[in-house]
Amino acid sequence: MDANTWQPAKSDKSERLLQLTCALIFAERGLTKAELFASIPAYLEAQRAGTSEESLNRMFERDKSDLRTTGIQIFTPSIMDEPDDIPYRIADDTFVWPQSTTLNSKQLQLLTLAAQVWSKASLQSDATQALVRLRALGIEAAATDLIGYAPRIRTHEPSFPALTAAIDQMIEVSFSYRKVDGSVSKRRVQPWSLNNIDGQWMLQCFDLDAGEVRNFLLKRIISRVETVLSRGEPIYFPEPSKDDIDAANRSLQDHVSGQVCELRIKRDTSAWFHFHLDEEPAHADSTISFNYLDLELLAEELREFAAEIEILKPKQLAVIIRNGFEKVIADHA
Amino acid sequence: MPKKDLPMSLHGEDRFNIMLALVGFLQRRGSVSLEEASLHFDLDKKYLRKLVTSLNEARASVGGFEQWFFFIDVDELESNGNLMLVENLVIDKSPKLSNRQASAIAAGLNYLSTLPMFATDADLIQLQGLLSDGTHRGGNPMIAIRPGSPEAGAELLRTAIIGQNKISCEYMNQKGERANRIIEPLRLDPRPEGWYLRGYCPVNLELRNFRLDRMRGIQILTDKLGEEALKINEIDDALYLADSTDLTVTVEVEPEAYRLVSEFVTLSEPTDSTNGKIRADIKIGHLPNLGRLVAKFGGSAKVISPAEARLAVKNYALAAIGQTPEPEIDQALTAGHSKMGIVD
Repeated sequence: MDANTWQPAKSDKSERLLQLTCALIFAERGLTKAELFASIPAYLEAQRAGTSEESLNRMFERDKSDLRTTGIQIFTPSIMDEPDDIPYRIADDTFVWPQSTTLNSKQLQLLTLAAQVWSKASLQSDATQALVRLRALGIEAAATDLIGYAPRIRTHEPSFPALTAAIDQMIEVSFSYRKVDGSVSKRRVQPWSLNNIDGQWMLQCFDLDAGEVRNFLLKRIISRVETVLSRGEPIYFPEPSKDDIDAANRSLQDHVSGQVCELRIKRDTSAWFHFHLDEEPAHADSTISFNYLDLELLAEELREFAAEIEILKPKQLAVIIRNGFEKVIADHA
Repeated sequence: MPKKDLPMSLHGEDRFNIMLALVGFLQRRGSVSLEEASLHFDLDKKYLRKLVTSLNEARASVGGFEQWFFFIDVDELESNGNLMLVENLVIDKSPKLSNRQASAIAAGLNYLSTLPMFATDADLIQLQGLLSDGTHRGGNPMIAIRPGSPEAGAELLRTAIIGQNKISCEYMNQKGERANRIIEPLRLDPRPEGWYLRGYCPVNLELRNFRLDRMRGIQILTDKLGEEALKINEIDDALYLADSTDLTVTVEVEPEAYRLVSEFVTLSEPTDSTNGKIRADIKIGHLPNLGRLVAKFGGSAKVISPAEARLAVKNYALAAIGQTPEPEIDQALTAGHSKMGIVD
């Protein structure tokens, strides 16, 4: 084709990713970067259109990273060769489902409902892609009695996507964290998982400065989540062992079960409704007690009912609730 | 099931993912009508036709030869409306889930398993097991969800929704006023911050949201849902829908109180220089509610303007600690503003 009349095709990323995936599967021994640049139509077109080598490399890096995000693992079997000679391959198990994968139609419907939980929240795209793959297994969703429910999760915290990515790639990150007392410190962590407890997102991680497992509330992260770099490269950490995770969960549970709140509720108030005291004859004396995760979060929840409850314990809770109101009054003077 | 699974504008990764899934599906099923595939994937037929074109054009020059990877019979599609995968040199299975995808679904399932009607569901338990086997991460999901206790009354309301029966209950509205209400229940929305019933109110003649923790004495009536309630076939996920009579209030929030504004603005990660403090405009239907919404954050949220909104918050906080509120600036705006906002 004449270089003067040639027009670059409307670039379509989905087609480029498909070409890349198919070429790598087809060439069983893998393909080097140079071979890929010479065989993938989208890369050839980009070169013909005068794309510089540098931006072509950038395009390839982005494509690799996008494929990894959707679960297509591209890897290099040998680290001994010179960088440009390394053939890239796709991990063998990318397309192998576990043996036990058979689903009935009710299960597909449950999976659909589970994916919809993320509607408009951070993981919507991942959940939707998962659903498409599950549908590829060919099962039809049957009409069942799962109607009438629209459970939804919300992710208000802007650090959520960055932390999800870091957990997925197992790379160290840092962020500024503000404790309840207002003090701010920089934390460097190996992020393990995100947990939602009573509607609050919490990061479970290994805190590299403290040298132990810590939990951080996402709402108290007040900076951007940054990838920790060493000589310009991310620092990868080993997968935490099941024992480590179990120990961390146990320690959190112990912490929560040691923290008890006791309230007396005024009859027939909105707090009375909220805690369902009519349905609980055991609470005839109008007192309830329960465990809590964090005193400040509990104060936030209970400020709504401040005039309708008497705090029996912990005494500090009443102080926190009142201090909060006094700050609000001062802020709006 | 609402046809809302796939957003209208799909990213490149999403389209790529659908192409892989379509190949896997056709490989498994052989020939499938376009109609069936469209229903199965919940995708427009036109969109599927474009995917066929993209798949048929997928090629690379490997070892000096131009290699096409797939062929879906175009004549069969044009003449008989069938998708028939004739050639497939590369993908003989559908791709399994990535860690991120498996985690998202597993977290959704975990959330479902905390709802009363799914707690002992054998199918759900089997799925949870399958997804933890299917990920490289094994028993360590990236995202785990453990919300609080499920709301009382949920099962009763669900029975009413499925049976299309009206319900009666005692309800305490946001002003603290109690009344016996008749509600035509349409959908239950369990949310981490609380459960909502979305239902038609035959008195106000519109769709309203009711908090389950403000209801008691729920009874299923023999009356069936009315015509108006049955006409509502799509309910927006957003609990707050702006109304022209709503007051715009400018607030300043720290990250600890982003929740207050997240329905109104898109939040992005803060830069270090601002410490995450942002200003945003929110809409309020009933000014006295603002006090409760803002004061709960104990200082992490602050109203900037207008003045009557600042006063409403201050007065709420004063009343909460047993002090005398200041006189209101504009009686018309507060007392006379009857609109309740979307949550009843």
